[in-house]
Amino acid sequence: MSAKPKIAFYEFTSCEGCQLTVVDSLQLYPELLEAVDIVRFREAMSEMGDDYAIAFIEGSCSRPSDEAPIKAIREKAALVVALGACAHLGGINTIRNRHDLGEVRRFVYGDKAEWYDTYPARPISAVIKVDAAIPGCPIDRHEFVRTVKRLLQGRAPELPDHPLCVECKLKENVCLYLRGTTCLGPIVRAGCDAICPTYGDSCEGCRGLVPNPNIEHLKEVLTEHGLSVDQTLAKMTQFLTYQVMEMEAAGHGDPQPAH
Amino acid sequence: MVTALKQTLIDPSIYLPTYGVVRNVRPMTGMEKLFDIALPEGMSLGHKPGQFVEVSLFGVGEAPISICSSPSRSNGGFQLCVRRAGDLTGLLHTLTPGSPIGIRGPFGTGFPIERFRGKDMLFAPGGLGLAPLRSLINQVLDERSDFGRVIILYGARSPAELLFTDELAAWKARGDVEVHLTVDRGDENWKGNVGVITTLFPKVEVHPRNTVAVTVGPPVMYRFVLMELLGKGLPDGSIWLSLERRMKCGVGKCGHCQINHLYACQSGPSFSYAQIKHLGEAL
Amino acid sequence: MNPMIIPKAALDDWVRLLRSSYRVVAPRPLHGQHVFGEVGSASEFDLGYPTSVLPPKKYLFPAREDLLKFRTDAQQVEATIDGPRTVVLGVHTCDMHAMQLLDRVMATGYSDQHYLAHRNKTTLVSVECLKPCTAGSFCKSMGTLSTPEVFDLHLTDLGDAYAAEVGSDRGAALLPGLKAARPFADKDTARLNRVMSEKWPRFPLRLEFDVTELPSLLSTSYDSELWKELGERCLACAMCTNVCPTCYCFNVMDEVDLTLKSGKRLREWDSCQLDKFATVAGGHNFRTARAARQRHRFFRKGKYQTDAFGLLGCVGCGRCAEACLVHITPVDTFNELYRRQHQPAAATPQGG
Ligand SMILES: Cc1cc2nc3c(=O)[nH]c(=O)nc-3n(C[C@H](O)[C@H](O)[C@H](O)COP(=O)(O)OP(=O)(O)OC[C@H]3O[C@@H](n4cnc5c(N)ncnc54)[C@H](O)[C@@H]3O)c2cc1C
Ligand code: SF4
Ligand code: SF4
Ligand code: SF4
Ligand code: SF4
Ligand code: SF4
Ligand code: FES
Repeated sequence: MSAKPKIAFYEFTSCEGCQLTVVDSLQLYPELLEAVDIVRFREAMSEMGDDYAIAFIEGSCSRPSDEAPIKAIREKAALVVALGACAHLGGINTIRNRHDLGEVRRFVYGDKAEWYDTYPARPISAVIKVDAAIPGCPIDRHEFVRTVKRLLQGRAPELPDHPLCVECKLKENVCLYLRGTTCLGPIVRAGCDAICPTYGDSCEGCRGLVPNPNIEHLKEVLTEHGLSVDQTLAKMTQFLTYQVMEMEAAGHGDPQPAH
Repeated sequence: MVTALKQTLIDPSIYLPTYGVVRNVRPMTGMEKLFDIALPEGMSLGHKPGQFVEVSLFGVGEAPISICSSPSRSNGGFQLCVRRAGDLTGLLHTLTPGSPIGIRGPFGTGFPIERFRGKDMLFAPGGLGLAPLRSLINQVLDERSDFGRVIILYGARSPAELLFTDELAAWKARGDVEVHLTVDRGDENWKGNVGVITTLFPKVEVHPRNTVAVTVGPPVMYRFVLMELLGKGLPDGSIWLSLERRMKCGVGKCGHCQINHLYACQSGPSFSYAQIKHLGEAL
Repeated sequence: MNPMIIPKAALDDWVRLLRSSYRVVAPRPLHGQHVFGEVGSASEFDLGYPTSVLPPKKYLFPAREDLLKFRTDAQQVEATIDGPRTVVLGVHTCDMHAMQLLDRVMATGYSDQHYLAHRNKTTLVSVECLKPCTAGSFCKSMGTLSTPEVFDLHLTDLGDAYAAEVGSDRGAALLPGLKAARPFADKDTARLNRVMSEKWPRFPLRLEFDVTELPSLLSTSYDSELWKELGERCLACAMCTNVCPTCYCFNVMDEVDLTLKSGKRLREWDSCQLDKFATVAGGHNFRTARAARQRHRFFRKGKYQTDAFGLLGCVGCGRCAEACLVHITPVDTFNELYRRQHQPAAATPQGG
């Protein structure tokens, strides 16, 4: 890869919080701007370039008309990186995938519902091949920088494939289950430095599932700690809907052989 | 005086590699390249066939790679045959002559060649398994009169994936080595045997009491090759293999390479079947 | 050297004195638990703490530790062996046994200079446990309720003062300068004897067999159905191994700065319970099943370490039992294996 690759940012259905975190990363690591050439970035610049090697896409694909521009990005970019939970997993936009979409539309847009086209929200990888993803809602600044460094080295970025509890324990947090609450840590992919448990909040799984999660037994743990079936389901649907529905469609909630 | 590379691990750190330099790179197949590496002046690797080194690219990481050159042909350096399998090995493939490269080792026990002397040698490498075995084969051939028959049964997935084809031809041409090749899938030019490596075994007769078999290949291969060898009556202690495991430290600390209680990086990766047949995690 | 008496009222002076030459770390309360951290005064820690989230092992073998630093634009690499002189106050005897094991592991075969450097700069002040720390602990059964020889200074709580036994020169070096410390008198010996004799009955024996039978019990339990049952429940979260004082598996990785010109190689605790621990390039996993990973863990704790190093791999600290959300504990596991071998009919299906 050339010394200073050109990079561009795009956004689909999202809150643009991840791009704000990118702005934040640039402030934290000003050297970034010496390492890359940003040609398109709505959050921080007005003029737009159209010539880039790495495209970061924020947001999920939530309507058929998103597909063409997403595919156009793939055509141009050598590398496409899904930026944040919406792009990586469909994000909170996928909560509606469990409901009748006509109803969802009427609920959100009232009598203007017919003006908007929509379909089940999906991650960018459901539309085009993505080369890497930076999970999280919002993304983690350090992970963004780690990813950029690996791309600069000419290496494929790698996500941690262990659960959040590992990071949480290495930071020596007192487990939230011992503090009278619950947490999705055991089935969620690490990489955020367990930021939520560190501040005493339950992990909601914005980084998605770890490979081979033991969801069935985590549900039992949640029940044992007083969560109702509905509460458990709500926990599993905030960020994990798309992944869980995919696993259900593949015919198993728990693909890992126990023995 | 020549310092053995291993000495450098004693001080200051067992994790500190020494810089070597890539002298030559030779593409072998679409997936494998042969690297010829020199250590700094005054330093020698001093390895045994079957041992491996930890190869470092600083900023990327380390990977265990078997030494594929024979100690008897050190020529001031050593060789590694590397398959492009991922991150580190992918970047290794971009190195050119003159590139620095970090080396630690050699690690592992290696094959006990002294115990093989006087025996007939049956080598059964599969795919990339020829790389570690080439070290042993060449040492045996350099001390040819110390050994009985030398038989090589080598299988690869396709003709294009056969490694060291020039050497295979040279071994065959010597007249004192029996070489049988097979590929899982042939191509239009392939005139040889088609089928998995076990289809070669009926082609050779061996004297079970006087034969040592050494097989190196992917995990799935071992079960079938072992069946053939045991079927020929070879005792467990005369069958040797090399067990690949994930390795991080190479020095018996990190725990990744454990096969039950054994550390493959320390007690292996070469083992006799007798050593490991009772271990649930070995095969 | 004769034992000394350190009045509790002098603890604060002692900490301040030690801080002039050492980093002083001790168990600090946090959200109802305790975490070892640096302290500046006696009010910040509690030597009567039950247990700590992570064991004090972290001072000898940090969760994340630099091994090397290098440049990628020049042939320049050097080992990073570094760390402050540290006094660890309040190491429980089970953790002392764990450090004894680590000392042996790290000095066997190739010596791990990084561990040994920390070890040489660390003074261990152990403290006698007078009552069981948690429901998960079973130190008495494991024989770890007395300190092993490796202590530098050993404290026993006598009420208003600590009895301090010196185990090494390094330990002795902590006392000069502390004016309030005085040599043992006869009445102190009597007090110490009373405290010690009252302590033992408070601890239950939780293993249903003698610990010396553990390695052989495991050898004959390799194919037990219990591993499958544990594997089904296990979340593969690795909390059990990350909190364990005798675990030392690690991963190694490189980090570079944004210029890509310099960087470091570091190690981080890893765990055999994690899905990818034994996976090689190409994706083959040598321990796919959680059952096999649980078995590996308990075999390391109860047999492999004993066979290789002559010391138990589990010191009965109970941390893993407290941490595991699906209640997989060493005591229950070992007892259940024992029951299944000795009274197969009475075995419960969901033991462990
Ligand atoms: C004793 C031994 C000898 C070997 N000899 C050779 C050889 O002669 N030629 C050759 O091409 N390959 C050999 N390998 C395999 C080689 O080590 C792996 O292909 C290599 O580690 C993959 O690293 P990567 O970064 O390219 O792949 P990635 O898949 O990106 O690996 C990521 C990480 O996983 C770990 N890892 C993955 N696979 C392995 C593995 N098989 N062993 C240990 N760690 C692994 C490494 O820590 C690596 O950093 C050998 C392995 C062992 C254990
Ligand atoms: S708080 Fe959550 S992430 Fe942390 S250890 Fe507990 S379950 Fe795991
Ligand atoms: S702790 Fe969980 S919810 Fe919080 S940032 Fe990390 S993955 Fe997301
Ligand atoms: S703490 Fe419990 S659930 Fe987590 S890996 Fe260990 S045994 Fe499994
Ligand atoms: S296995 Fe559990 S009880 Fe035993 S030493 Fe480790 S954490 Fe403590
Ligand atoms: S397990 Fe025993 S020795 Fe360890 S802290 Fe608890 S009571 Fe003390
Ligand atoms: S590779 Fe680390 S223990 Fe064998």
